[in-house]
Amino acid sequence: MRGAAHTLKYLLLAAALAYPLLPFRDVYVLHVLVLIMVYMVLAMGLNILPGFCGLLDLGFVGFYGIGAYTAGLLTIHYNMSFWLIVPLAVLNGALFGVLLGAPTLRLVGDYFAIVTFGFSELVVLFLTNEIWLTRGPLGIPGIAPISLDVTWLATLLGVDERWRYAFRGEVPYYYLAMVMVALVFLVMTRVEDSRLGRAWLAIREDPMAAASCGVNLFAYKVIAFAVSTGIGALAGAFLARWTLFISPDMFKFWESFLVLCMVVLGGLGNIRGALVGSAILIALGEVLRVALPKLGLPAETRFLAYGLIMVVIMRFRPHGLFTQVAESTMQSGLIKDLRARIAARRTA
Amino acid sequence: MDAILTVDGVSKRFGGLMALSDVSFAVERGAITGLIGPNGAGKTTMFNCVAGIYTPTDGRILFADGVGEPLNVAGRKPERMTALGVARTFQNIRLFSALTVLDNVRIARHCRTSANFFGSVLRTPSQRAEERAIIDAAMENLDFVGLGETALSPAASLSYGDQRRLEIARALATDPRLILLDEPAAGMNPRETEALVDLIHAILGRGVTVVLIEHDMKLVMRICKRLVVLDHGIKIADGSPQEVRANPDVIEAYLGKGAAHA
Amino acid sequence: MLEQQLVNGFTLGLIYALIAVGYTMVYGVIELINFAHGEIYMLGAFLTLSFISMGLPLPLAVLLAMLAAAAIGVLLDIIAYRPLREAPRLAALITAIGMSIFLQNLAMIIWGSRPLPFPKQALPAFFSEPALTFSDVTISWMQVIIYAVALLLMVGLNLIITRTRVGTAMRALAQNQTAAALMGINVNRVISFTFALGSAMGAMAGIMVSMYYNTMYPTMGYLAGVKAFAAAVLGGIGSVPGAMLGGVVLGIAETLGAGYVSSPYRDGVAYAVMILVIIFRPSGLLGRAVTEKA
Repeated sequence: MRGAAHTLKYLLLAAALAYPLLPFRDVYVLHVLVLIMVYMVLAMGLNILPGFCGLLDLGFVGFYGIGAYTAGLLTIHYNMSFWLIVPLAVLNGALFGVLLGAPTLRLVGDYFAIVTFGFSELVVLFLTNEIWLTRGPLGIPGIAPISLDVTWLATLLGVDERWRYAFRGEVPYYYLAMVMVALVFLVMTRVEDSRLGRAWLAIREDPMAAASCGVNLFAYKVIAFAVSTGIGALAGAFLARWTLFISPDMFKFWESFLVLCMVVLGGLGNIRGALVGSAILIALGEVLRVALPKLGLPAETRFLAYGLIMVVIMRFRPHGLFTQVAESTMQSGLIKDLRARIAARRTA
Repeated sequence: MDAILTVDGVSKRFGGLMALSDVSFAVERGAITGLIGPNGAGKTTMFNCVAGIYTPTDGRILFADGVGEPLNVAGRKPERMTALGVARTFQNIRLFSALTVLDNVRIARHCRTSANFFGSVLRTPSQRAEERAIIDAAMENLDFVGLGETALSPAASLSYGDQRRLEIARALATDPRLILLDEPAAGMNPRETEALVDLIHAILGRGVTVVLIEHDMKLVMRICKRLVVLDHGIKIADGSPQEVRANPDVIEAYLGKGAAHA
Repeated sequence: MLEQQLVNGFTLGLIYALIAVGYTMVYGVIELINFAHGEIYMLGAFLTLSFISMGLPLPLAVLLAMLAAAAIGVLLDIIAYRPLREAPRLAALITAIGMSIFLQNLAMIIWGSRPLPFPKQALPAFFSEPALTFSDVTISWMQVIIYAVALLLMVGLNLIITRTRVGTAMRALAQNQTAAALMGINVNRVISFTFALGSAMGAMAGIMVSMYYNTMYPTMGYLAGVKAFAAAVLGGIGSVPGAMLGGVVLGIAETLGAGYVSSPYRDGVAYAVMILVIIFRPSGLLGRAVTEKA
């Protein structure tokens, strides 16, 4: 059973890697798959707060927007390389995360949720009204696509050529998104199985006991917020250079809700669940978009169905699909080793 | 007396309620001290003041780690008290119940370890060595309380008595010099209580000073070297179990007015 | 100028207060931010429109719309929230947002997504005429009616909460649900009653707003809901008098902010108030602080 699940996982991965190269590939499908991967990154980033630390964040999309606008503005004004923009956008997201988090992370429960919600709506309002900076509701069109310039390598090898590859179409973005998902996944699983991840889970399970174990609640919540918002900004930077157009509408509350639904559907605190939740909800959205008009229903029914489906899922699976927390911990070599030691002791 | 902890005139007020008024006592290093008194006497409030959950309204709490000068630690944050060497368990068990037994104890190594975000992501050699050491220390403490074999089970799956022992293991994993046990025998059957007595003596054997709150008077009288009795937030007696047992104020507090003369 | 702004802000504030009461009461009894409450407010306006187009006279249409909104509020609780009382809080919150999206889009399907005017012919002509004029301040009859209705509803609500058995039960529930159940209070019935009261008041706010601005649209509940929620937070979440005070203060702050500081950031006033109050005075003007339940 476990072996079969593993095989299936690798088959899926191989299929995902091969798909863009196949003759029957479809641009629309590729686009949706890239979108799914953007949401996977968002969901993994958000998961840190409600999933690991038990903090309800209703304004995650604000940091996604900050990342996207950081990238968009740096691109149109300074023509900066994407590879330079990524760390800047992540840092900017994390910076705003700390600025908002520091005064609010002492708040409990819903108060924190409300503040994050208010903040993200203020971000949208700022993006809409500061026309001198953001062009307001018109958005920023004409953002340059990503390009990979490795002329330095050519120079190093003594080749007098310009080695520059500009991303065109969905395929290069598809692979880049895969790399991004893989990297964030790696970071998240490693953090989950570490001193930092354990401290976060302790805060989620029982803040008072966590403090008694020596965890500085405030510091670790701020770290969680910075990492989470940084990842949100990373997804935003990618979005800006992929869609090549950003506007304040793209960062409204609905998006925060969507990402939260992905995390909850997957199972709070479960990284794999965040991935599955993103795939399901984006795919569902696309299916509804295509299927409902064919049934003769108006386009608005899509959101109606979406809302209803969330209600039904919460009704019958309030804990999500995967309820296990600290999954990567159980798969680490040290723990496998310990399991063997304990088993040996039992038989002895 | 070599005091590891000296509570000096501590008061704690919640709104109009004086939960503790001007309480003073000392805890002898390397001994078991019992903190007793009727329900609502302020025992857990006293623990919370020492452990840093509450800041006393008034008074000093001196902690002497045996090396440097005694420090006034009143009002220090809980995580700093843990780092100083004061660990505790809770009256109503507070485990991280979604996690494994091992992870409950591993978290307690937090204050003795230092890996940060970057070390964890990059899996640096020092981070990996630290992780191994954390598991070893956690297992050592779990074996100490007899839960080593359950390390990879969910904490919530343990029996009630084992959950209490797990809390003790978690507290011990912070490498304390002083451990505060809040009703460790509550809800235990006689066999479990006997094992607990052995465990408490073993803790003492590791050089950790023990203060416990307990309602089981037989247990308290048997294992404590000194007792401090609180009633309505006031210290009414302090001394050896024999002295305390003979103190009319204590009998009155427990059995009601007039009982001492009956 | 200032006086006129104050009058307009006060009017707006009373509307917020009427909606805010619904948030705060529901939060008081089940600790849920009922995101769908803004949609009840919107439905109040549209239902009135439909009843009027069926040929009903205005007072009857308004009354029926309030009753229907109350019924929708109760159903919302029974169908969506009640099964999740023991579930994780996030599940209930997501359900609330899901219901809000559902109701908003349902309204779009029924009434279309374009703004509709309030049927003018149903309103007495004098409504839009000035009732009082002092120098350069004008108070229209519509505003006077909003004052009167809001005041009436709030006094009535206060009487219900403080003087009736069900009001006492509501307050008991807000204190401690288990204890209230042990005292023989039918918890679910009291919660239903809370939803009914809050929804009826929210609907009335929606009806009056659609008359006042002569427009209604399916997404009108979102922003109004958020602002009313900010008002509830400002007043102290869980406190009914606080919600009323918070609504009025927010309405005036918003109108003055738009008039004197920055009109594009008009909607930002609510968010800023929400954030600042929570950071600096989480118990609000009249409330008690929310503490973590062990």
